[in-house]
Amino acid sequence: MSGTFLVQSQYYSSQKLRVGVHDNARVATERIAAEIRSTMQDGFVVAGRRTLTIRAPLVLGVICNRLGSQDGDIHTEGGETAFNGADMAGIAVRDASTGAWDYQTATWSYIDANNSAAADDCADNGADTTWAASEFHRVQHLGDLFSPTPVEGDVMMLFRETTFRIQASVLDTMTLGLFRQVAGGSEVEFATGMDTTAQFQYRTGGATYADTVTSGAIGNIDAVRIVADARLPARSGVLEDITFGWTVNVAVKNLP
Amino acid sequence: MSPARNVLPREGGFVLVLVVLMLFAISVAGAAGYLVVNTEFSMARYSDQGAEAETIARAALNRFIAEQLGVVGDSVSYAIGNGVGLITSRKLFEADSLNHLYYIRSEGTVTDAMTPTPARRVIGAYAYHRKRPLKHFAAVMVAADQGYSYGATGNVDGNDQNTSGDCAGGGLPATTGIIARTATGAQAGALLNGSPTGETWTGGFNQIYDSVALRWDILSDPSFPIEFDGAPPNFASLPADSFPVVRMIGPLAPGSSWSGRGVLIVTGKFDPGPSFNWDGIVLAGEVDDINQGNIRGMLVGALNGPNLQSPVYWYDTVRYYSCYVHAANESLSYLELVENTEFEAL
Repeated sequence: MSGTFLVQSQYYSSQKLRVGVHDNARVATERIAAEIRSTMQDGFVVAGRRTLTIRAPLVLGVICNRLGSQDGDIHTEGGETAFNGADMAGIAVRDASTGAWDYQTATWSYIDANNSAAADDCADNGADTTWAASEFHRVQHLGDLFSPTPVEGDVMMLFRETTFRIQASVLDTMTLGLFRQVAGGSEVEFATGMDTTAQFQYRTGGATYADTVTSGAIGNIDAVRIVADARLPARSGVLEDITFGWTVNVAVKNLP
Repeated sequence: MSPARNVLPREGGFVLVLVVLMLFAISVAGAAGYLVVNTEFSMARYSDQGAEAETIARAALNRFIAEQLGVVGDSVSYAIGNGVGLITSRKLFEADSLNHLYYIRSEGTVTDAMTPTPARRVIGAYAYHRKRPLKHFAAVMVAADQGYSYGATGNVDGNDQNTSGDCAGGGLPATTGIIARTATGAQAGALLNGSPTGETWTGGFNQIYDSVALRWDILSDPSFPIEFDGAPPNFASLPADSFPVVRMIGPLAPGSSWSGRGVLIVTGKFDPGPSFNWDGIVLAGEVDDINQGNIRGMLVGALNGPNLQSPVYWYDTVRYYSCYVHAANESLSYLELVENTEFEAL
């Protein structure tokens, strides 16, 4: 009788751990994949085995009007309320001839000119502002940030710089954790229970993945493999660690 | 008479309790197992639907841009796979009168009766609307070795027959009469006018094809939707300012029944008869050696490759009317994706 209940208890504990380890792996990969997928060309900053830093767009916009040497009116989907200015690490401009992005570090408060005339000025240049006046806003310091200064019709990006690290967990010191840090913010552990084999790998064309990428080839990354192996140590009633092998390949879809 | 059974109150009671307890324990474990599996299944399904919604959004975006011909629509929806892609567009900037920049927003959704909220992903991108893509190089432009205006009624004229009062952008400087690879001219009493009357492009087909900057591979693809495909519309029922795109897959020897206006696309050999009249642009994959009829606008021929027949003669008239060319050209307008701007709105 007691044996029956003991086995039941072990089964239940084992199942619970197994669910936990699956969840850890899934959360880690889903969260990272969503950000990696959005990365644009030249958006990889650090591509290491346990550290990945990327610049991904908060939003893209178009300069529909220029004023003087510094200011410009831009349209972004949803307007200013559609993104969190505190997450912004900088602004980038697309080179109209090469398609390459020129990334410059800046805060939202630095470039926000907070002027309500942007929609009217863009309408004068042909923009359809119907029901979307709030999606147009004025930015400043363009001349200070870029050379040559962007012109009307240029596409811009407000980007976030995010670093993912696999390192010793704070929440469960017996395992590794996945940490996420937005530039200017603090490091947050949002997935615990990673195994020692967890890491990032990179593809730079072809079909093979490498643990690290040279600085010269970092611009050629077209896919990231997340090896999110998970492990939960044995708990009461369960004799062995529960492990879960989980690997996801994330293609960077916004490359030309 | 059988004796009455003497059932002791304690018999079987212990076993019953044990069985009930065990059944309870098994049901709890079973329920826990079911929840585990069900949660895993739901998570996997949500993830799968999210990925599908994103794929639908990207597919709808690219389909909208690829199929765009003429005026840019405000909103279009496509049923793709298990979901719907909803496209909305917004003009953001006019670089000039012929090139307008649009923001294209594509929202992909996948609805599942078992899922409380549809999976939804949004993809955005920028695209230029090229309003008049075909350049006005000549009244007749043919990728053959030789092109001639021929005979007593032959008249190819690159001088604009419209004035600035006829339409916005009308009354342009004269364009070339005929462009061919090695020789052009007028024979047997024909007229050939323009400035210059003729040009030889030694690069032949490749030079002509690259210069006109038309999406001929797309326009001539049978799977590319064209509003009037295989037969001309009833032009009397269309507004006078409507210059539609009309396409014939394969060869066409048009007569009066094909007369009309707009853009006429013939993917095979174009062999017009004397009763054929067209206002606008004619694009042909191949051109016959003897051509009749009257075109008020432009002819661009042999877009499939170097013309199989040469010389190419025009027995009747092809005269450059810039207003008809403008109107037809806008029906050929298309969206060109601005490279490296497709992004997922988080």
